[in-house]
Amino acid sequence: MARRIGFRYLFERSPGIRIAIFAGKGGLGKTTSSAALSYRLSKMGKRVLCFSTDPQASLSDIFEKDLFGKGEIEISENLYVLEIDADKRIKEYIESIRQKIKDMYKIEEIPREVEDYIESAAAEPAMYESAVYDAMLDVVSQSKYDFYVFDMPPFGHGIRMVAMADILSKWVDKITEARRQAYEYEKAASRLKREKYTEREDQLLKELENIRDRIVSFSKLITDPKGTAFTMVLVPEKMAIVDTERALKMFEELGLRMSGVVVNQVYPPVILRDPRAPEYLKKKVEAQIPMLREIYEKFGDLILAIIPMFRREPRGLEMIEEVSKELWESTITLDDLEELSRR
Amino acid sequence: MITIGDNVEETSGKKGFRGLFSRLSEAIYGMALHGQVTAIMKEKMYIEYLFMLMTIGDMMGIPILPPYYTLRLLPYMVPNIKGWKLRMLRERDFTDIVTG
Repeated sequence: MARRIGFRYLFERSPGIRIAIFAGKGGLGKTTSSAALSYRLSKMGKRVLCFSTDPQASLSDIFEKDLFGKGEIEISENLYVLEIDADKRIKEYIESIRQKIKDMYKIEEIPREVEDYIESAAAEPAMYESAVYDAMLDVVSQSKYDFYVFDMPPFGHGIRMVAMADILSKWVDKITEARRQAYEYEKAASRLKREKYTEREDQLLKELENIRDRIVSFSKLITDPKGTAFTMVLVPEKMAIVDTERALKMFEELGLRMSGVVVNQVYPPVILRDPRAPEYLKKKVEAQIPMLREIYEKFGDLILAIIPMFRREPRGLEMIEEVSKELWESTITLDDLEELSRR
Repeated sequence: MITIGDNVEETSGKKGFRGLFSRLSEAIYGMALHGQVTAIMKEKMYIEYLFMLMTIGDMMGIPILPPYYTLRLLPYMVPNIKGWKLRMLRERDFTDIVTG
């Protein structure tokens, strides 16, 4: 029996999946895969949101429409696309913090030492990622769609967030305790001073609890194997294989499960048997074989789909449809890969 | 010192016998309890500072929360930051040991 692969089989195995995440380095086909899966699901009558954050606005390129920073835009029936402008979001967020400080203390200018901190925090590279995760959480919590497909930015800080979620939960409990203690002291002092003590609603503690909830929900969103398909996209090249392996290991160390990998830009092995195929093309197929062998040996059953190399760049709805067919049910099977590996 | 979220309430002046009584009670308070209240407030300050270290510690180079979220807590800590930083970064010498 041929071992067929494709997202179709993933969804059959896990019918509860509502979120698909495509991660991996830039330029390997994350955005294309996200667009293709979104397209396919929308054709099946699901309301889908395809989410991307790329500052290079790849989704805009793929759908041949300017979407960057424009909010949720309907591309075709049931298919919505959101390409957020994370830099703009960060700017607005930081401005809102400044405004809050000014309003709270009725001051015109923010104290130097506070301003310094705001500026250095704003320049942190982690800021970008956090803003993206925050936006992801926002769209999911609104639950306006049946399906969410995320084109993730290169994943580094995210893994830290996931690792943190558990510790953070306990830590917030401890902090709450410390705050209560501080209040006890205050209460005692006002009693001695014979002043009236009014229990204030602790806004700070509320914020802290809200932050914890957000980080915990983000971690759940990423790591729930029943509801989320976390996928990495790679191509048959040494660096991509090494990177994916590393990410897989990192996941395992955290006790998480990756749903699988998508192998992109694979030359169809049938070319080798085609007498009319030009020699240079056959050479290219041959060159990919050792890499495909490595992918098959290292990832095996984790391979979710194989997208062949297309004759032209996947742009426009027509090409996206082509890709989506392959993503849903790949022409190249695991048996093909096995056969190639034995060569 | 101002603490997080404190409202500074001013007590209006009182007159007559009640005024005298309140003066008296203030004097008693001053003699008997002021030291104790100060000690308690000092203790509270230490907890407050510890709390700040636990939340906005990255200001001192101790990254705990992602800075994106630290910023959300920042507004509440504005009045304490200066004192806290001075205290945390102060060099300790023998007078510290002598005075505690």
